[in-house]
Amino acid sequence: MLKLLDKISPTECPKLLHRVVDWICGRSHPKRIEYGATWSLLEWGELISSLTYFFRVAVGRKCSDQELQELLGDLESVRAEAVLQCVRARQEEIRQALVDRTNRICSTQLDDFNWQLKLALSSDKLSSLNTPLLNLCLDLTENGLQRAVNIEMNKEELNTLITALEAANKVILQMK
Amino acid sequence: MEEVDRILIHSLRQAGTDIDEDVQSVKQFSSELIVQAVVRCLRVIDPAVGSGLSPSLPPGMSARFRVGMSLAQACQDLGYKGEIGYQTFLYSNEPEIRSLLMFLVEKLPRESAEVSDQPAGKSALLQKAIAAQIKAQLAMPWLPPSCRLPLHRKTQSPGPCHSFRAQPLSLPYSLKVPAKKQSKEVKEYWREYLLPVTSQPSQAASVPASLLENHVSELSAAQEWENEWNSQGLLSRLTPEDYRSRKRMRLQKRIEEQLRAAAQPRPDTHNATRSTSDLSELLNSFAGATTGGDVLTKGTRFTHSEKFTFTQEPEKAAQQMAAAASALPSSHQSEEDLKAQQEAEFTALQQQLQQLSVQMEEVGGDIRQLTVSIHQVSDELKQREVHNLEKENTIKVKKQTIDLLPDAENNLIKLQSLVEASSKRVVHLASQWEKHRAPLIDEHRRLKELCSNREMESSRKLSEIKDLHDKIRQSAEEAKKKESLYKQLITEYETLPKDVSRSAYTMRILEIVGNIKKQKEEITKILSDTKELQKEINGLTGKLDRTFAVTDELVFKDAKKDESVRKSYKYLAALHENCTQLIQTIEDTGSIMREIRDLEEQIETENGKKTVSNLEKILEDYKAIRQENSALAAKIREG
Repeated sequence: MLKLLDKISPTECPKLLHRVVDWICGRSHPKRIEYGATWSLLEWGELISSLTYFFRVAVGRKCSDQELQELLGDLESVRAEAVLQCVRARQEEIRQALVDRTNRICSTQLDDFNWQLKLALSSDKLSSLNTPLLNLCLDLTENGLQRAVNIEMNKEELNTLITALEAANKVILQMK
Repeated sequence: MEEVDRILIHSLRQAGTDIDEDVQSVKQFSSELIVQAVVRCLRVIDPAVGSGLSPSLPPGMSARFRVGMSLAQACQDLGYKGEIGYQTFLYSNEPEIRSLLMFLVEKLPRESAEVSDQPAGKSALLQKAIAAQIKAQLAMPWLPPSCRLPLHRKTQSPGPCHSFRAQPLSLPYSLKVPAKKQSKEVKEYWREYLLPVTSQPSQAASVPASLLENHVSELSAAQEWENEWNSQGLLSRLTPEDYRSRKRMRLQKRIEEQLRAAAQPRPDTHNATRSTSDLSELLNSFAGATTGGDVLTKGTRFTHSEKFTFTQEPEKAAQQMAAAASALPSSHQSEEDLKAQQEAEFTALQQQLQQLSVQMEEVGGDIRQLTVSIHQVSDELKQREVHNLEKENTIKVKKQTIDLLPDAENNLIKLQSLVEASSKRVVHLASQWEKHRAPLIDEHRRLKELCSNREMESSRKLSEIKDLHDKIRQSAEEAKKKESLYKQLITEYETLPKDVSRSAYTMRILEIVGNIKKQKEEITKILSDTKELQKEINGLTGKLDRTFAVTDELVFKDAKKDESVRKSYKYLAALHENCTQLIQTIEDTGSIMREIRDLEEQIETENGKKTVSNLEKILEDYKAIRQENSALAAKIREG
């Protein structure tokens, strides 16, 4: 399927390859609209999936140049060279992405977290409250679905959370 | 006095008194103004007392009198020592009013001064900032969303809607690898194809989040490494690279152990066999990785699973294709036939599949058995080989002895001589060895000592380095603290009211202090002059007395003998008396002059008290009171 790459001009080729690598590393998908004239929808899907497969295998198995040439098959030499260059340039990034993917071994993962510190000045009952509150927002991926969890904590609850996290960190340090 | 008046008027204005711009001194204060000023001051000093008094004078004369009395009472309660009564307010004279107002202004609480003296706490600052912000927002009118300017959008929009989502970024410079060491391809990628960081994330909103995330992760990694290096790395006496590789080895070994413990074969479930075989494969790859050194470890599992899924899929696809192909030609047959055929095919295929899986299992068991037996056999083979070697050696020795047997005696002697020679050689070698050994041992000891010395030195230096690190951290923290304090003070300074009068006051005060100093100097000069004069006068009078006494004696002695001298003695006595009288008169004149001056001053102060106008006022007020009284009496009579 990598043969489809021959349809694009040699100058455009590395750009597309780098965007595909960007996608593997967790950024946005390369846009089909830009290449709509070159490939049909089916071809596009095949090309992207085969390219991602190729990059993952190439970096994950630490293939030598010869093995890479074999994987590329009968691709035109200019494009094959472009693909090889891309692999060499982005090796570290792809490796990091693969490591991250391997680390996601649980059913639920933490994608991102955000926190806001709020100062509650007063409530409907008290004119002067002055209680700090922490709003913790966790972005989770649960079995492939994204879910946001919002927690509001006062000082004691936050302390409990921090002690729990510190205990967990201690366990990890002991593992080291 | 002008200076004092200006300060007084300024502080009275601050206390809330409504003083006109053209009023420049206390002299211009009217009774109304005085009453208002005093009441305002009293209200600030003691709200309980001040709230009972009205700041404006009532029109009725008796009411005015009462107001004056109560004000005087209030001032005396506050501790005013001077003379005070209703007349102070109604028939004012300048010095009294001034002293009263000065007393009241001094009593005014100095909140602002006290507050600015204390170092403002962070919470207080925060509260102040919040209050200021809320006040500003309240002051701003609400606008419908379509009319909002960017200025309003900040405070009146419902807040940022997008959540904090970070995406990994690709940056040309990172802490992990120095830029110079990067390969040519990487540099070309940076130059040609790397997008600017703002267009890398899919949404513009996640640019700051991604940047922050990236920065924090690098920073925390660097910090953690520094901590670890300072606490453990330095003590291990390794280079950073060595330390890293050693740690990696340790971790790999640990993970391997854990996985091995978890992957104990469990034959009870069918599914487990696959996973355990997968895991053992993984472990094998781990073993390879540990011997190979720096090999990607975490990716292996991924690649294996990848291999597994991708090798399975083509087979499936081929099967499906075959099924479809066989189904095609029979399309013209009737549907039932087709169904029956399909069912038959399906069952056949299922059977085949079951057979195949059973076969697979059998073959798998066979393979396992065979691998075990191969292991056993290879072990046996090795043992046999070792055995063989031993036997061959014994055969060689025996063959030689058999060869030597025919000429036994000669050979025996030869052998004995050989043995003796070799024993001699051994002794010789031993003595030589001893000779060599002694200096070598000495050298060894010396080196050992040197080594321990070095070690001590290095540990000392290590502790020094640690101390230095601690110190550096401490001073950095201190610097940070000081900087924040400096910033706080700067902001405080900026928020302070730029009151020009304050600096003007200090300038004036300094000027006044300078003037006072000058005056003091002059006074001391004059005092010393007076003292000198006094001394001179005393000296002169003493001299005069003495001269007179001597002359008197001399002349008196001669006067007994000579008539003309007696006359001159009389003249002398008269002269002396006249002179003393003269001096007396001069002194009297001086004292009278002084009295005159005092009296003049008194006249001036009396003039300053506006006695005449006040008297006229009093007369008028008296008449007014009488009128009021008569009116009241008339009312009573009418009533």
